[in-house]
Amino acid sequence: MMTASALPQFPWLSVLIFLPLAGALICVLTRERADESRWLALATTVTVFGISLYLWFHAGDSSGAWLYYEDVDWISRFGIRYTLGLDGISLLMVLLTAFLQVIAVLISWPQDKHVPLFFALLMVLEAGLMGVFMALDMVLFYLFWEVMLIPMFFLIGVWGHERRRYAALKFFLYTLAGSLVMLIALIALYLIHGEQTGLYSFALSDLMRTDLSTTQEAWLFAGFLLAFAVKTPLVPFHTWLPDAHTSAPAAGSVDLAGLLLKTGVYGMIRVAFPLFPTVVQKSLPLLALVALIGIFHAAWGAYRQTDIKRLVAYSSISHLGLVILGLAAWDLTAWQGSILLMTTHGITTGGLFALVAMIRQRTGTRDLTELGGLWQCMPNLSAFFLLFALASLGLPGLANFTGEILVLIGTFQSHPIWAAIAMFGVVFAAAYMLKMVQGVLWGESKRTFDCEDLTLREWLVLVPMAVLVVWLGLYPLPLLKLLESPVLTVIGGMP
Amino acid sequence: MIVPLGHVLIVAAILFVMGLACVIARRQLIMILIGIEVMINAAGLVLVAASGYWQQLDGQVFVVFLMALTSAEVAISLAMVVYLRRLRGTVVADEFDRMNG
Amino acid sequence: MSETLLFLIPLLPLFCAVAIMLFGMRLPRLFAEVLAVTGVAGAFLLTLLLWPYADGEGTRAVLFTWLNSGSLDISFAVHFDRLAAPMTLMVSGVATLIHLYAVGYMHQDRDYARFFSLLNLFVFAMLVIVLADNLLVLFLGWEGVGLCSYGLIGFWYRKLDNARAGTKAFLVTRVGDVFLGIALMWLFALTGTLSISAINAQAATIPSGVTLVLCLLLLLGACGKSAQLPLMTWLADAMAGPTPVSALIHAATMVTAGVYLLCRLFPLISLSAVGMAAITAVGALTALYAATCAMAQREIKRVLAYSTMSQVGYMFMAVGAGTVTGAMFHLLTHAFFKALLFMGAGCVIHLAGDENDIYKMGGMARRGPGELVWVFLAGAISLAGVPLTSGFFSKDNVLLMVYTHPDPLYKIFWGVGVLAALLTAFYTFRLVYLVFAGDYRGSGTAHALPLLMRWPLWVLALLALVGGSLNLPALVGGHERLQHWLGDLAGRPVTVDHHLEWLLVGLAVVLVVLGWGVAHWRYARFRNAWDNPLSRFLLRGWQADAVVDRVLVRPFQAMALFCWAGIDRALIDATVVGMSTRMLSLSMLLRRLTTGRLSSYLAAFAWGFLLILGWLLLQLVQGGGHA
Repeated sequence: MMTASALPQFPWLSVLIFLPLAGALICVLTRERADESRWLALATTVTVFGISLYLWFHAGDSSGAWLYYEDVDWISRFGIRYTLGLDGISLLMVLLTAFLQVIAVLISWPQDKHVPLFFALLMVLEAGLMGVFMALDMVLFYLFWEVMLIPMFFLIGVWGHERRRYAALKFFLYTLAGSLVMLIALIALYLIHGEQTGLYSFALSDLMRTDLSTTQEAWLFAGFLLAFAVKTPLVPFHTWLPDAHTSAPAAGSVDLAGLLLKTGVYGMIRVAFPLFPTVVQKSLPLLALVALIGIFHAAWGAYRQTDIKRLVAYSSISHLGLVILGLAAWDLTAWQGSILLMTTHGITTGGLFALVAMIRQRTGTRDLTELGGLWQCMPNLSAFFLLFALASLGLPGLANFTGEILVLIGTFQSHPIWAAIAMFGVVFAAAYMLKMVQGVLWGESKRTFDCEDLTLREWLVLVPMAVLVVWLGLYPLPLLKLLESPVLTVIGGMP
Repeated sequence: MIVPLGHVLIVAAILFVMGLACVIARRQLIMILIGIEVMINAAGLVLVAASGYWQQLDGQVFVVFLMALTSAEVAISLAMVVYLRRLRGTVVADEFDRMNG
Repeated sequence: MSETLLFLIPLLPLFCAVAIMLFGMRLPRLFAEVLAVTGVAGAFLLTLLLWPYADGEGTRAVLFTWLNSGSLDISFAVHFDRLAAPMTLMVSGVATLIHLYAVGYMHQDRDYARFFSLLNLFVFAMLVIVLADNLLVLFLGWEGVGLCSYGLIGFWYRKLDNARAGTKAFLVTRVGDVFLGIALMWLFALTGTLSISAINAQAATIPSGVTLVLCLLLLLGACGKSAQLPLMTWLADAMAGPTPVSALIHAATMVTAGVYLLCRLFPLISLSAVGMAAITAVGALTALYAATCAMAQREIKRVLAYSTMSQVGYMFMAVGAGTVTGAMFHLLTHAFFKALLFMGAGCVIHLAGDENDIYKMGGMARRGPGELVWVFLAGAISLAGVPLTSGFFSKDNVLLMVYTHPDPLYKIFWGVGVLAALLTAFYTFRLVYLVFAGDYRGSGTAHALPLLMRWPLWVLALLALVGGSLNLPALVGGHERLQHWLGDLAGRPVTVDHHLEWLLVGLAVVLVVLGWGVAHWRYARFRNAWDNPLSRFLLRGWQADAVVDRVLVRPFQAMALFCWAGIDRALIDATVVGMSTRMLSLSMLLRRLTTGRLSSYLAAFAWGFLLILGWLLLQLVQGGGHA
């Protein structure tokens, strides 16, 4: 990947990272003022979203180069630089992050425990995510990778639901174990590269040029892949996710499913695949196998759940399996589909988690055996629930379908059997999603609760997401255009 | 230099071991503190001697630092000992074992 | 007029559906009803208005690009041609009548907005299937009708069984959709396009083995939507929905989508003789299977549901025998008389006080408007194939085409089809006798029949009786108009001498008379149902549900339990948690070292110091030894 000429322009990318950090700092400093911190968080996230939209509209056309690029010397002794770059893939992720973070703030409005700290952590999380999606220096990447971890740990551990400490610790240990292995691999790669060239640098573009023996490459790739596989999560490293989701507060769940999982896939696309091109090609069938197992294993797992949050969590694992399958197909269409599916999955699953939180707030339960008949008293909420569930099971015309069909068609070109098997996943998805819909919406309600349909704030949360779900289902073309050249850069630059 | 470096080092070593023995053997907090003082002074002695031997001022500067440090340390630790004595009625070190694992 | 206007045909119902969805509950009821009917009727009128566009090669129109990636380029495009035009007209026309009927039928229901918006959405999705220019857009409609069917079967969701029936319908049809999806991907891989006409044009270049597999995949896809063996279990349960839904979705339109798909891709599938035989076999077996089931059913709508399945089987036979005309002809006439029968059944159920069981009916004509028996009878004789009705001509055409197929195997299919025709006549007249003959045996109080529930039936009754004129065979002096209209798309023409044709007509008449005779002998005066193992077996649809449950559902659930409890819980989590408990017990050992006593720390420190000192000394001694 080449770098665009670093014109002295306004450092928008840094703003995306440091604005939320500043917001978080102010939030913490204003300590006890709950309302102010809510509005501050909203203002910050909306501004960040606005900036990212601005960046999108002014991105212009640049094939092969970065749309935006910032590069400053940081710790020159170790060759560490502060390098940020934005191409189509990361721009999409940044947009998704900025959008979902606004949603996360809005659905956390009723939060009343240590409010300023809560919103501060949300904004730190946003900064970390932005950093991960933009960093081009590996130390910077690793730094943000860990920055993301800590707020999430506290969000689950302090503001979570039942068994929150178990879940938070499980989440923390799983991801930390993964990322420490990545750190070791990273340092090893740095040293090898330094010895070869005499130039000690952590820049991704430099490290890509390292000349590795097959064994070295395999081990280092495994190290990186482990970190990303835990985060994605790929079977069998997935069991932290349902627990983390079940315990996390609503905003935590939205961020977890919508964004944190995406960093795993993004890491593969941006870091692991370009760094180790030859071993990647060899490991693609294995990756596909794991992905296929993941699709069905998680779908089966989802079918068995009675806690709807856990069910949706399992469905995420299943969907991410399809995303990875698309990557393993190593085909432009499949990759575009994968990244699109990642985005749309973030929105649909985010919507489902938001709705689950609303349902729990009203009925006091998330258990399928205790819920039922919600349509009778809250038709609007139920209609949104149905919409997102249908999008999630891949109904054509809604968001997830476009990504799924592109993945499948793209995969079929080179690996018909994989695609044919994966196609059966749609029946599985329908099975567990409809089971959930049936348990929540239909039948008679089994317990009494106050029948309050959507409030204004909840409309504000759901309508933008619903609009996006329909829009991306019918007109994903702008996003596909955005993805085309960066995807070609990644998959075309390989033997 | 009047005294050979070796002699000073031997004295310092003896001083240090004595301090150490005091620290290990005594049970009163105050005595342990005194033992630590002795050990620090042993180190200071070595620094002064070395400074004289190599004709460089670094060692002496260090000793001045060491003195300042010691006085600060003593001031705080003695205050804490007084506080602990008031709190628990004893200054035997092993009585304060609440920070076990 | 520009061809973009063609998009108005599907978009008008969509627009009305969205409008009702958003504002239906906030507006007066009448407004929602008018909007619903207007949307569909508008589509109907537009189709008539735009009919000239279907002439010749038809007209293509593109709205905007949906997906574009690499060589994949999919637009929202419609293709209004000679095959799509009559289908569009039928769908929108029958839908208009059914919407009017539904306004009367749902008069009491408070949830009208959801009902009408789903119904309009359905019409939109169905029209998308009909008009789609490429397979992915067709797939959009294909899944769309499935969704609406799901929502409408479970419309009265308070009874969980209704919702379950909807879920079942969605899942079973989705199994078929998987095969359609695979066929779609494969076709793209082979031809590099998903445009239906382009695929048909390139069909000859596809290797014949692949064509066979594609044909079977498409067949399975069609089977799901059209409730053919082996994916037929959902249709009978789908009767849980409101009756207009059954009439529209599960009789006239959606279940025939499979047939339409096969007709659309006829140039492709007709290349595989084995595939065509498979299609015929599936059709014939379903026709017979469903007819036997229909004989034993107790609920009026289930009789009609199995009968639909059976008639769609005839359409499959027609496609398999190589005649698109035959399939489309039967599809159209079936839409008329089966929608009529369902709507009549709705009236009957209304009069019987929401009672479904035909053994608790009888003499229904005297409980309501007297004309009901005549319109119902018009549909029934058409279904039974009484000469000169529409069903007679279309079914005869199908059987004739199967009989004249050169492959001797088709003679067996023909035999099966003839047997099914006999059974059809029997169960139809059984239904008529049980519902209308004798005295009322039930105890329900009749609801009033609004006018809107009555007069759409007259229109359909007329169509059911004279619908045969659409494709009147040359035998009786007709012009085979549908055949000529379809032109290149029509498939194999009828080439048979008139003696044989008269013979087959005679046979058909004999069958009808025989079926009627048996029904008359058994049911003219009411006697209770047979209760023997065979009739119970037929009542439960050959135990198909039990088999599916045993073979698919239970293993699926067991596998789900295994993946969740067996692997995730017992294997992975147990391993991880086990590791952490090991770690914990190890650290419990280590923590004893932290006594908290200053003396032990100091002692440890001193010993450590000594150790280092000793080691240094050792180094010194060794180093000295070397020096």
